[in-house]
Amino acid sequence: MDEEIRSDQLISKSTDSGFATEEFMVNMGPQHPSTHGVCRLLLTMDGEVVKDCQPHVGYLHRAIEKISENRTYAQIIPLTDRFEYLTSMACNWVFCLGGERISQMEVPERAEYIRVIMVELNRIASHLVWLGTFGLDLGAITPFLYCLRERELIMDLFEMTCGQRLLYNYIRVGGVSRDLPVGFEKKCKEFVGYFMPLVDDYEALLTNNPIFLTRTKNIGILPVNMALNYAVSGPVLRGSGLKWDLRKDDPYGYYHKFDFEIPTGTVGDTWDRYIVRINEMRQSALIVKQAIEGLPEGEFRAKVKPSFKPPAGECYTRIEAARGEMGAYIVSDGTAKPTRLRLRGSSYNHIMVLPEIVKGLKIADLVAIFASFDAIMPEVDR
Amino acid sequence: MGNFRSLIDGVYNLLLGLGVTARRLPKPAVTLQYPKERWEMPERSRGIVVLLSDKETGELNCTGCLLCEKACPTGAITIEREKNEQKKWYARSFTVDNTICCFCGLCEEACNFAAIKMATMYEFSVYNQSELIYDINRLQELGRDVPYTPRPKKKPAAKVTEGGEADKAGEAEPEAEE
Amino acid sequence: MELCGIFSWVGDLLREIGLSGTPFLIVSNVMVAAALLGILSLMALFLVWWERKVSAHIQDRLGPMRVGYHGALQTLADGLKLLQKEDITPSGADRGVFFWAPVITFVACFMAYVTIPWGEGLIPADLNIGILYIIAITTFTVISLLMAGWGSNNKWALLGGMRSAAQVISYEVPLTVAILGVIVLAESLSMQKIVTAQDGVLNWFIWRQPLGFVIYIIAATAEVNRTPFDLPEAEQELVAGFNVEYSGMKFAMFFLAEFLNMFTVAAIATTLFLGGWNGPILPSWLWFLGKTLVIVFVLMWFRWTYPRLRVDHLMEFAWKWLLPLAFLNLILTGIGHYLWETLFG
Repeated sequence: MDEEIRSDQLISKSTDSGFATEEFMVNMGPQHPSTHGVCRLLLTMDGEVVKDCQPHVGYLHRAIEKISENRTYAQIIPLTDRFEYLTSMACNWVFCLGGERISQMEVPERAEYIRVIMVELNRIASHLVWLGTFGLDLGAITPFLYCLRERELIMDLFEMTCGQRLLYNYIRVGGVSRDLPVGFEKKCKEFVGYFMPLVDDYEALLTNNPIFLTRTKNIGILPVNMALNYAVSGPVLRGSGLKWDLRKDDPYGYYHKFDFEIPTGTVGDTWDRYIVRINEMRQSALIVKQAIEGLPEGEFRAKVKPSFKPPAGECYTRIEAARGEMGAYIVSDGTAKPTRLRLRGSSYNHIMVLPEIVKGLKIADLVAIFASFDAIMPEVDR
Repeated sequence: MGNFRSLIDGVYNLLLGLGVTARRLPKPAVTLQYPKERWEMPERSRGIVVLLSDKETGELNCTGCLLCEKACPTGAITIEREKNEQKKWYARSFTVDNTICCFCGLCEEACNFAAIKMATMYEFSVYNQSELIYDINRLQELGRDVPYTPRPKKKPAAKVTEGGEADKAGEAEPEAEE
Repeated sequence: MELCGIFSWVGDLLREIGLSGTPFLIVSNVMVAAALLGILSLMALFLVWWERKVSAHIQDRLGPMRVGYHGALQTLADGLKLLQKEDITPSGADRGVFFWAPVITFVACFMAYVTIPWGEGLIPADLNIGILYIIAITTFTVISLLMAGWGSNNKWALLGGMRSAAQVISYEVPLTVAILGVIVLAESLSMQKIVTAQDGVLNWFIWRQPLGFVIYIIAATAEVNRTPFDLPEAEQELVAGFNVEYSGMKFAMFFLAEFLNMFTVAAIATTLFLGGWNGPILPSWLWFLGKTLVIVFVLMWFRWTYPRLRVDHLMEFAWKWLLPLAFLNLILTGIGHYLWETLFG
């Protein structure tokens, strides 16, 4: 077995230091506090040092794609909620965008604005969960509670709009399921005003904290080339220094109407990925503010028959979700059910690039890097 | 000198972090003491499915059109319907299996008669799984006092005609399938 | 309010019923030990509750609220729950080592209190090598953590045990050197004498040993395995570290010992740097408790603010920063003390 070969090589290597050490294999996961769900990393360790890391995925496979072949388009939307449950709005959107592209449907302006508001709020919520768990994985427990405190407010906004806090099922082919409720705009503006200064609080707890810096600076450097080879996208890619954001580079929705910046990192280390997400939260809040201020009146949903039947055809749509490129490939044969639905999540690529950069690092670094990739398992396994 | 500077910087940032947590210490909690204090659920909140009745007559709004049953992605809704004396459909039995309901709200969205709604109730734990299958009486009872604002009439003409068509289709198709 | 009176009253009582010599010593010592055990158990329960409350309020929560007033009896309820839990020994465990590890950790942290002065005259035994004794006894913790890590037959636990061995031994050195500065000033190893040397707020050693105090607090935080130095039980890395396989009462012993150790280092800090039980008006034991709890609060405050260090940075920090600083402090203290004595003494 190749495992034996590897251990032979390593034992001979470690005798160079004067005394022989024995390396061991350990299962990190599927039940481990910092693998964020059910990722299983098979680690070959020499003391604290990770010699090899093999990710094993598939513990959360729910056959969403297969089930979708037996569901109507409207019935698939609740399933896409479960595809990536921290940014369900984006999942809804990417799927509905596919339906709209195939049937070449125009979406009312108000609906597009509402979508942008929802997805950007969702991006903030997702990044808050990430920031909290990232701090948690580095041993700082309090930022987690602070982040979830603000996330609750976003969840409140979602609940008053679409009725649920996690699995929204809100965006529909041709628009959104319901108009914004009375008082939403005011509450949303309040939230943005309240949220912006709190980002500084998180930064005070982490960004320049010397302990945090030693844990993240120059740890887990992901070069741009390697990132591109592994099709890594989203904040991880931007952290490596490439300014690639589908909101700007492959525009969809009404993003061209808003003024925002794409934060990028320089080195591609854990700290860069962190600061990219922190700044993205600020930018998202700015987009939400602009969208609320420019929210037009009008229809919130195009006229779509309840039994939506797109013409035969296929299309791939992609959007910039919180974790990176999220795509939906829909093949339609003209019936009410898609022939094939393929969902693309970015977490899979993030996990697969992990072994390349953790070899030779400490297990604590592995945890930090894994957390900074922000991979979540439902998106990997679908 | 650079080292000294970074030391000062580090200590300053360590103190900054302590400052954030210290500032939070005397502030009141944002959490609720759940069974004692409850959060007021927004009206759109999607809890369990209930059936709405006419406030005056006390009869169910449901016309047995089977739209919700068709819309349900998990097949949690089972309706048996028959015609009454006036040759109008009504639901003889209406069962919601809460063990497989995914609370997506598609049934509520499909309904054109303000008959089915996801109420804001969220506590329905039981010891026996079979108790989670709610029959028509239970659903009616639960929906007795549920406030309901009809959906805004933004697109009334389109929705009603299309819904009407769909309504007919909904009446026709299940029979064909059976 | 002086508790001393109670003890002399009990002593008189024992003498009245005719005890003297060795039996008197045995009985009185057992009584003191029992009283100490009771107080410390209560203190541990209180500290667990307090930590939960502090963390909750820092994090905009309320923490335990159900059992007793603001959850005051929560720890007791948790303890009762842990008592009822099945006591699991992993199949491949080294049974003896696995069993004795929590016992040793608890006994060691309890034994440290032999020379801690709780108040004026309130010290179980005023050894003339008091502080040395404490330093020696608290090192037992590392043995028990290593035993727990080894005995569990679990890779995570072993990693935790190894980390704790490396960490506690490394930080023991700057800790001791920081304490030496105080010993130079007090010219004694006896805890009582160190306290009496700090009569009056201006004579507290913290004013003459600010660097030593900072080094002591940092090293002590590492010594008792608390964030930012909680590597042996780094939950996010090692699941739960050395105590991953422990359940029920054995886990409770580790847990309580952890909090008692925190109290121990805070009590030593109070004694060495903050004037011990010295203070006006209020009874001396209240002063001691108050100062100690302030230090404990600071340790908790650290824990709920900072992330965790990495294991190699931890060692680097101890050997490359803390130890040279501690030696510098000691040398400066020695020179300063010598000059002071020759010029003014």
